[in-house]
Amino acid sequence: MIRFENVTKIFSRGTIPAVSNLNIEIPEGTICCMVGPSGCGKTTSMKMVNRLHSITEGKIYIDEVDNSTIDPISLRLDIGYVIQEIGLFPHMTIADNVATVLVEKKWPKQEIGKRVDELLELMGLEPKIYRQRRPSHLSGGQRQRVGVARAMAANPPIMLMDEPFGAVDHIARVRLQNEFLTLQEKISKTIIFVTHDIDEAIKMGDMIAVMREGKLVQYSTPEDLLSTPADEFVANLVGGNRSIKRLHLIRVSEILNRKVATVNMSDTLEAAKKHVIENAFNVVYVVSDTGVLNGFIGKVELKQEGEFVKDVYRSYPEIISDEATLSDALSVMLSNGESYVPVVDDFEHPLGAVSLEDVFKAVRQDD
Amino acid sequence: MTDSGVNINSAVISAEESVSPTRRFFIGIQKSGPVLVPLLSLAAMIVLIIYMVNNPGGAIEARILNYGNVLRMFREHITLVLVGSGAAILTSVPLGILITRPAMRRYTPLIDNPVNVAQTVPGLAILALFLTIFGLGFRTAIFALWLYSLLPILRNTSSGIQGIEPGIIEAARGMGMRPWRILIRIELPLALPIIMAGIKTATVVLVGSAALSTFIGAGGLGELIVTGIDLMRPTLIYTGAILSALLAILLDNLLGSLERYLRER
Repeated sequence: MIRFENVTKIFSRGTIPAVSNLNIEIPEGTICCMVGPSGCGKTTSMKMVNRLHSITEGKIYIDEVDNSTIDPISLRLDIGYVIQEIGLFPHMTIADNVATVLVEKKWPKQEIGKRVDELLELMGLEPKIYRQRRPSHLSGGQRQRVGVARAMAANPPIMLMDEPFGAVDHIARVRLQNEFLTLQEKISKTIIFVTHDIDEAIKMGDMIAVMREGKLVQYSTPEDLLSTPADEFVANLVGGNRSIKRLHLIRVSEILNRKVATVNMSDTLEAAKKHVIENAFNVVYVVSDTGVLNGFIGKVELKQEGEFVKDVYRSYPEIISDEATLSDALSVMLSNGESYVPVVDDFEHPLGAVSLEDVFKAVRQDD
Repeated sequence: MTDSGVNINSAVISAEESVSPTRRFFIGIQKSGPVLVPLLSLAAMIVLIIYMVNNPGGAIEARILNYGNVLRMFREHITLVLVGSGAAILTSVPLGILITRPAMRRYTPLIDNPVNVAQTVPGLAILALFLTIFGLGFRTAIFALWLYSLLPILRNTSSGIQGIEPGIIEAARGMGMRPWRILIRIELPLALPIIMAGIKTATVVLVGSAALSTFIGAGGLGELIVTGIDLMRPTLIYTGAILSALLAILLDNLLGSLERYLRER
């Protein structure tokens, strides 16, 4: 648990406080998103937790211990710290980067190696391939993963994340966000997550702290933030299309209940036809021998010449994973031009489908 | 995502396979450069000395160009350069590190400016100036050469460290690295190429400046050159000039190898 108690930060005497009289309590195992325009004091607040910035007035308690009484080095070694991808050490290999805190904590060499492999695997980076690479040989998304792996190395109970997914494109960011939320379900860290993107905050945060000019404007759950913004500033920040933003809050896995039958590539069209007619969207999924979703057959495809499924099937331009949000699902539906979207698991095995109707229903239930 | 990394790798391999034989020849030279160039310049120096001693081209030249004389001057020259730049490295690198510490930043001009001034004084003038204090000989020459090579090393050390992306240092601090660990594990390795560039510049310049030491009786290859000028014997001038040029190339390459060794460690 992290508790800010009347925390004020003044950088130089006589200037306006960067943070003034901040009171927040972040419960164990939750993500608190700090959001606001640049210069609002969100990063400063975060950096006072691991004492990269000193506190001018007030106290920050970590598990009821005043953090100014803890030696800053050992305090920081026990708090994971992720900043934008520039924070990776370019002259070290990925393994050495991830091992940084472990080396500082003087872990035995063998255990470090084992832990590094474990972390790389957890982040979906094959250790054999990536251990000896340099950060410059990784894509933006991979670097962010290494950054997260590095912060989690010593399994700290608390993590501070400063725009951790800021430097990647939208698609990679959505993926990283989903992966991280799935991970958080397993590891349950107490996290301060700084971002300027309100959509990201709504999606990632269990609680959201909206800040402006060093002051806390609103501290509430994403749902409350959307339904009852504290003032005009928050309402403007959240934006006009609040019901669309609510789609960020619901994950596909929560509403997924439609099954779609599957056929193999080598099946006959006759077998596929039966499924197509029975299905609500008039489709049947086509899967490979390993069960990976390859495409579909609908009414149009049935009319084409051919005897087997593999002759006529079409592939989907885009599919989504069950970790995605309804907002992702909706945007894929729009780009596919279909009123449903296929949902797959991590191995691209089909799980079912979400329809436009399901999305409507979910938002209505939420009201 | 994992695929993209593999693709990069295979792209590199195929690029290497598709180069023409001539390009491959030059790549070969580049790769063997660390060994080839120092060996070649060393061989050239030996050949030059042997040739000149055996074909001095005149009685006056012959009296100066014997093995004992040339090797002494050569040895003196190397000693001047190595001791001078060695002393400069030992002062400038720690000083450069010191002025980049956060607590010391405001004193930077106090060190920076005198060193700048030292660089603006011509080498010969420095020699003359300290001649009056330390007298003739090796010690004065070393002192002047040391003073003269402070700036490039100091400047490169401090700007090499200051040029590191602040986010990298901040990440290191945020993860709980102690300041001296950040210096050793992050700052120095990242600034190494720039620090080494300063050391290389200083050393190469020093090979030239050391030739001036002969004016205060510290010997070196400058003796050959100055004697050549006085007696109007171009053979002597060329021998001295070419030998110091080859020495500069040799040292530059050896330092380059040292840098590679340090970087891979």
